[in-house]
Amino acid sequence: MVERPRISGALDAGNEATLTLVAGPPGYGKTTAVREWCSRQEAALAWVTFDAGDNDPARLWTYVATAVDRVRQGLGRLALQRLGFVGAPIEAPIDELMNAIASYGQRLVIVLDDLQSVTDRACLASLDYAVGHLPENTRLIVITRTDPAIGLGSLRASGSLAELRTDELAFTAAEGRQLLVERAGFDLSAEEIETLCQRTEGWPAALTLASAWLNRVDDPQAAVVEFGGDHRFVADYLSHVTLETLGDDDRQFLMQASVLERFTAELCDAVLGRTDSGGMLAALERANFFVARLESGGWFRIHSLFAEFATARLRALDPAAPAEIHGRAARWLADRGRPIEAVEHAAKAGDEGALARILGEHHFVLMTKGGDALLQVVRTLPDEPLLEQADAITSAAVVATCLGGHTLEQRRLLRLADRARTESPDTFSPWADAVARLVVALSVDAEPARAAAAGRRAVEIAEENADLALVAALAAYARALYFDGRLDEAWSAALRAIEHPDIERRASGHAHARSTLALVAADRGHLGAARKHAEKAREILGGVGLSRSWLGANAAAALGVVLIDEGSHPEAERELAYAEGVFRDEVATLHHAWLLVLLAYVRCRRGRLDEAETTARLAREELDELAHDGRVAKLAAEVEREIEQARRRASDGEVLDPPTPAELAVLRLLASELSVPEIGEQLFLSPNTVRSHTRSIYRKLGVNSRTEAVARADVLALLERPESPM
Amino acid sequence: MIVEGELSDELSPTFAGMTLTREGGTTTLVGRVRDQAELQGLLQRVSDLGLTLLTATAKDAHDRR
Repeated sequence: MVERPRISGALDAGNEATLTLVAGPPGYGKTTAVREWCSRQEAALAWVTFDAGDNDPARLWTYVATAVDRVRQGLGRLALQRLGFVGAPIEAPIDELMNAIASYGQRLVIVLDDLQSVTDRACLASLDYAVGHLPENTRLIVITRTDPAIGLGSLRASGSLAELRTDELAFTAAEGRQLLVERAGFDLSAEEIETLCQRTEGWPAALTLASAWLNRVDDPQAAVVEFGGDHRFVADYLSHVTLETLGDDDRQFLMQASVLERFTAELCDAVLGRTDSGGMLAALERANFFVARLESGGWFRIHSLFAEFATARLRALDPAAPAEIHGRAARWLADRGRPIEAVEHAAKAGDEGALARILGEHHFVLMTKGGDALLQVVRTLPDEPLLEQADAITSAAVVATCLGGHTLEQRRLLRLADRARTESPDTFSPWADAVARLVVALSVDAEPARAAAAGRRAVEIAEENADLALVAALAAYARALYFDGRLDEAWSAALRAIEHPDIERRASGHAHARSTLALVAADRGHLGAARKHAEKAREILGGVGLSRSWLGANAAAALGVVLIDEGSHPEAERELAYAEGVFRDEVATLHHAWLLVLLAYVRCRRGRLDEAETTARLAREELDELAHDGRVAKLAAEVEREIEQARRRASDGEVLDPPTPAELAVLRLLASELSVPEIGEQLFLSPNTVRSHTRSIYRKLGVNSRTEAVARADVLALLERPESPM
Repeated sequence: MIVEGELSDELSPTFAGMTLTREGGTTTLVGRVRDQAELQGLLQRVSDLGLTLLTATAKDAHDRR
């Protein structure tokens, strides 16, 4: 190990910053420098190394939380509980994690290595969010080849960013001398060292390669001279000559293992058809020959730059070899229950059939624990191999539904499932059948009767052959029945869902059924029961980090309906507005139209008639697009009438005695959610003065309530005039 | 596209579809790039190999889709 006080000093300087960025091309000793520095700190360390498969916020934060949990068991527990469910919002677990770290109290360094692999916008946004919420006791170090898009500019401007970049990371001649002469013991002159450093431009990986190579040649001085006079790309040249110095078997092993990137001895044995990989790896690691052990038990990687050239060489010798190795690795990992890694290798093997098969075999784990990974891989595949894997198609449709805002994709997947049903009936399982139908019921679409029929069939199939889908099927069926106006049947289907013996482990279906129970109870005027069910739905989803998801939006909508019936219009509007945002999509959906109708109603009741009208018009457009004339359309017609009446009432008669400026100031705040004392505080008035202004406003406008006053002010445009100066 | 250092033939398959010409310590890679995605992939390869990119020029601009 070369001592690099220069580099440690630069990292020390970062103690004052929020974020330290260590950026440079591969092989600049970034990881080594940070690891070495960390080992001398009196701080706990959470280290995460990413790869291209980690482009999913849920997985990214699962790794981070797991690493933090290793610092002290339990630190990452709450965050981990909230992760790993489809559609879960990422801020909640990040908040949990940051709170846990803050409560830990001691210094913690979090290192995110190879962050260039993370390119997904949502991932980077989640990191940006985390950087903004880091507790005082935490330092974040990012190691990357490319500057990540996480608002570095503003961090730099505020002095919260420390940077260690290529120029600083490159070896100076003195450091090169330390590496090659003092450590490796070569008898090289200052001039020869200079040649090496110049030729490699201080690139540490190239100098390390040079050292490994010089160690194996008879005449190092002559080799340096030859190297100095060569024009080949340094890493190319050095990898080549270094591999040349190895025996055939070692060379073959290194080239093949390089393809795998990350591996265990067992994986190498299985994939490369050997039995001695453990010994080989240990020997190469001891010889410091580009093999490094990873944090997590038994996994290794080959130095990435060397691996690139070794793989290139293997490909030049045998063009088909890399794909074959990836294909065998995919099978081996899939058989050992590691579908996420298996999928990555299958993708690199370019074997779409194998990829589809892995998705089919492991669809349930990928759906429930893989975030949107399943959907993303399904997107990359052509129809043909997928048609044989209906389980994967339908599970991906569930993911698309639960993410919200993916209606078009969900419909594409359902059409594909239909094709699979007719074209590959032998592989079309009861699970796929039940799930395809339950997704139809879930989204309801324009014809609730058809959705209910699909839901009913989904329930029958699940009862016979796919119990894991039963609660979700019953919940979807109940919701379709509710939209079809069959309240009694909706009630009993939802009740059957929550009476399932395994209900505690079926959070999604459970919450969905509870939301429907709340809606039915509210329709029947049983407000107490309705509230209980809506709150329970929310509690269940909160427990699994799904509060802000499509299902969470459903729970919010149910609670919104209950709040309307309780007369709490401001609170109802908040819940409904949230749900409306989640349901918004590229195409009209019944759920979204329904939310717009409810929002129009609540806005009308709050006296904001113009807004109510606009919202109702949007709802009407979506209902027309859907050609829906059922329950939601009837509700829309009622709300439109209500808005019209409110407008007529509000514009009735003239205002002879306009409110004074002081009264107008009060009137403006009556349109808000503030209470009378709060209005007083805002305007520096006593509550009694506010009440007397209010009475005077009511008299002048000829109204009897706060809502009517706001509506009338809206219609008469009383509040649009600029406030007169005091 | 011109990168620093002369690349060996072993790396040719890595830049499939590109013609490599070596001269005076640099390598010139010439080839048709269909779209931005392919271009980004190519730049990614350059970065993975630790190559220093000296210049990148678009030719036949009117041919681009």
